[in-house]
Amino acid sequence: MFESIEDVRERLGNQSYVSDKRLATVVFLATRLNKPVLVEGPAGVGKTELAKSLAGAAGSELIRLQCYEGLDEAKALYEWEYGKQMLYTQVLREKIGEVLQPTKDLREAVETLRGQEDVFFSENFLVERPILQAIQADESAVLLIDEIDRADEEFEAFLLEFLSDYQVSIPEIGTVKAEHPPVVILTSNRTRELSEALKRRCLHLQLGYPNKEVELEIVRLKAPQISEELSEELVRTIQELRTLDLRKAPSIGETLDWAQSLVVLSAPRLSKELIEETISVIAKYDRDAEKILTHLGVGVPERKDLGQKEPTGERPEEALYEHRRRPGAHTH
Amino acid sequence: MDAVINDFVQVLRSHQLRVSPAESIDALLALKQVGLGERGMVRDTLRATLIKNQEDTETFDRLFDLYFSLRPHTEKPAVKLKLPDHDHDHGPPPDRLELGEDAEGEAPEEGHSHDEGESADMRRFFDKEQMRPSQNIHGENEKMRLSMFSQELILNRKPGAMESALQRLTYHMKLRRSRNMFNPGGLVPDTGGEEIPLDVSAVDLEELVDHLHDMEVDEALIEQLEAQAENIIKGLPELIKQMQEREKKLEKSAKDDSEMRHRSLRKILDFSATEQREMEAAIRRIARRIYGAKTRRLRQDRIGRISVPHTLRHNIRYEGVPFDPVLRRKREGRPRVALLCDVSLSTRNLARFWLHMVYQMQSLFSKVRTFVFVAEMAEVTQLFEEHTMNRAVDEIFSGRVLDADVNSDFGKAAEQFRNEHLSTVNHRTTVVILGDGRNNGKYPNAEALEEIAQHARQVIWITPEPKWGWNLGSCDMPLYEQICNRVEVVRTVDQLAGVAEELVKIRA
Repeated sequence: MFESIEDVRERLGNQSYVSDKRLATVVFLATRLNKPVLVEGPAGVGKTELAKSLAGAAGSELIRLQCYEGLDEAKALYEWEYGKQMLYTQVLREKIGEVLQPTKDLREAVETLRGQEDVFFSENFLVERPILQAIQADESAVLLIDEIDRADEEFEAFLLEFLSDYQVSIPEIGTVKAEHPPVVILTSNRTRELSEALKRRCLHLQLGYPNKEVELEIVRLKAPQISEELSEELVRTIQELRTLDLRKAPSIGETLDWAQSLVVLSAPRLSKELIEETISVIAKYDRDAEKILTHLGVGVPERKDLGQKEPTGERPEEALYEHRRRPGAHTH
Repeated sequence: MDAVINDFVQVLRSHQLRVSPAESIDALLALKQVGLGERGMVRDTLRATLIKNQEDTETFDRLFDLYFSLRPHTEKPAVKLKLPDHDHDHGPPPDRLELGEDAEGEAPEEGHSHDEGESADMRRFFDKEQMRPSQNIHGENEKMRLSMFSQELILNRKPGAMESALQRLTYHMKLRRSRNMFNPGGLVPDTGGEEIPLDVSAVDLEELVDHLHDMEVDEALIEQLEAQAENIIKGLPELIKQMQEREKKLEKSAKDDSEMRHRSLRKILDFSATEQREMEAAIRRIARRIYGAKTRRLRQDRIGRISVPHTLRHNIRYEGVPFDPVLRRKREGRPRVALLCDVSLSTRNLARFWLHMVYQMQSLFSKVRTFVFVAEMAEVTQLFEEHTMNRAVDEIFSGRVLDADVNSDFGKAAEQFRNEHLSTVNHRTTVVILGDGRNNGKYPNAEALEEIAQHARQVIWITPEPKWGWNLGSCDMPLYEQICNRVEVVRTVDQLAGVAEELVKIRA
């Protein structure tokens, strides 16, 4: 898929995904060793984007499996098409009669029927779900198993066979093995610890917040309309804010959102008023917003209402905010 | 190369990083792909294949630097390493260290046997003696425990070691003391002698010295230890006096009691965002353990909704006529939790931590009933649900809920719980008790706890005191321990996370 580590970087770069050497090394190894990659890191540092860009760079299909609590094999792997099975049984009733005609007694009929049994549990009646799709793809695809930490532990255990051998066992059919093993990217926000067994099977990649140069590059790539000066100022501010003890530090996603809102407001510079007005783009909690404003010396005349009744901060609301963000915004 | 990597993996393992054989094979395969041309790349490769936990990354980086700290290769590769004897020398690793292959990049094949020689030499840096905790390569282990301390005494008879161990011990104690000094709720003048929230009291130290006499330790060491202990004991009254004075000062500066309480409250609630996040995560992990695997999957059941796919599949045997509907419903293996939290003076300095934990638990579990006790017991579930953290805690310490200023008496509290609330406990209830089990010599009333335990699914006791402290002073923990399913020692977020980790590991 890729020639060298440099090649990975370059081709990811063509997909407007800025990568460092570490990331490129891991991706390169993953394609060479046919090993899944487990990407961990805070929300909005480009975990999902990595899979998308990788699919783009390799020119292969991206198959996505979003994990959630209660996800099971029927939704991740395969499901029998019961309706179709039923229909076939009805339609083929006569044919079955024909098949069984020459048999002399019941015993023989059963024998004959048993010989035909696998007709009804064949791949014709399987509904392919993402994992089976990835296994049966004609070319090796990129399979993104997003936010694996949201799924149950049972599901994790179920993935083990697939991740180590790229095969799944379907009780009625047998084992299906991938001819072109997919590149598997698993992402996790670390809302819980994944099992050792799963981690052992994966290459591990820790994504963190980028340094100033890289972030600047990302901003320029993704929000080209922004002026040089402003982007530099913006990135500097964001980098500074990450050193504060915030409940949710602004990630690259927030940087880009901010950059874009500044473009929309056609702001020439980052003034104090502007920061105050747009604070809700980068701070997702009241307390964070206050801290940021105090830190930047803007002062807090009154509390900004971000829609929370009481800043208890006890409920995990990041997820909610994730959803609220514009769908077009980059979760980079 | 194989030998070097294997050796490196050994080093990682000896530092409590879990590296499986499969992973080290992966590492080798990966290195064959990327080559050894670049140091950074080799590091990234090894890190991606060997290290799967974020927490371990730092250790890995440190060890990688230490292990592969090489000068650029300038001399002949075949030179054997001549290392000074380091068995009695804990100085920094020598800077002259060569690993033919890695420094050279594309290494010639000839170096195989010589590799092994080298790695054997390498091993000397990392042999068991050198890797012992508390020596320079490890650098951590700042947490001294008395049991470890006595172990070290016996194992390590070097004169210097004893000194340094004791120093660390006293240092550790000082830290504890000063922390208490700044915590106004921690010590009240009139009960000061009895209720010092120190982990090691004078009596304990004396007992420790007696214990050491029983063990076969050099007399000289014991004398040294005694002298040290004496110092500590001598220092105690003064310290108490200091603390009391401080207390008085505080009282003077804040005559109003409510003002005082608010000040202490601010301390209690002063949780940084990071701490809060860690706490949340840790409790989630514990939550999972207590729940059993938390799941929302549908399960087959006698009642529930008809599941079409399952019914069809099940009834194919009847030519698809749905004789036998399959019902599924959500069933959550979710036991109830009853939290009993000691808010007496002896644990007041931990209240900040505990009440936070309780508050978090209540927001995470659906059926939590929270009780606080000192000598009597009161339910505060409602309080936590209706008010914010600050208000609730304020309310509890205000004395309106219960008299918070008497000596703690778990026996009495357990009795009251048995009489009034036992009906809330059933086979799905996990009872979590937060307390130090110090009854101030009152009747421990283990029967009451036993009866509670019989009704509950499990009893988990979380205590701030390490186990060695239990049989010192008037602590009834040994008695309670037999009844509880688990006893965990927790006094910081870190430890809570550790306990959560362990619980999860046991499950896996």
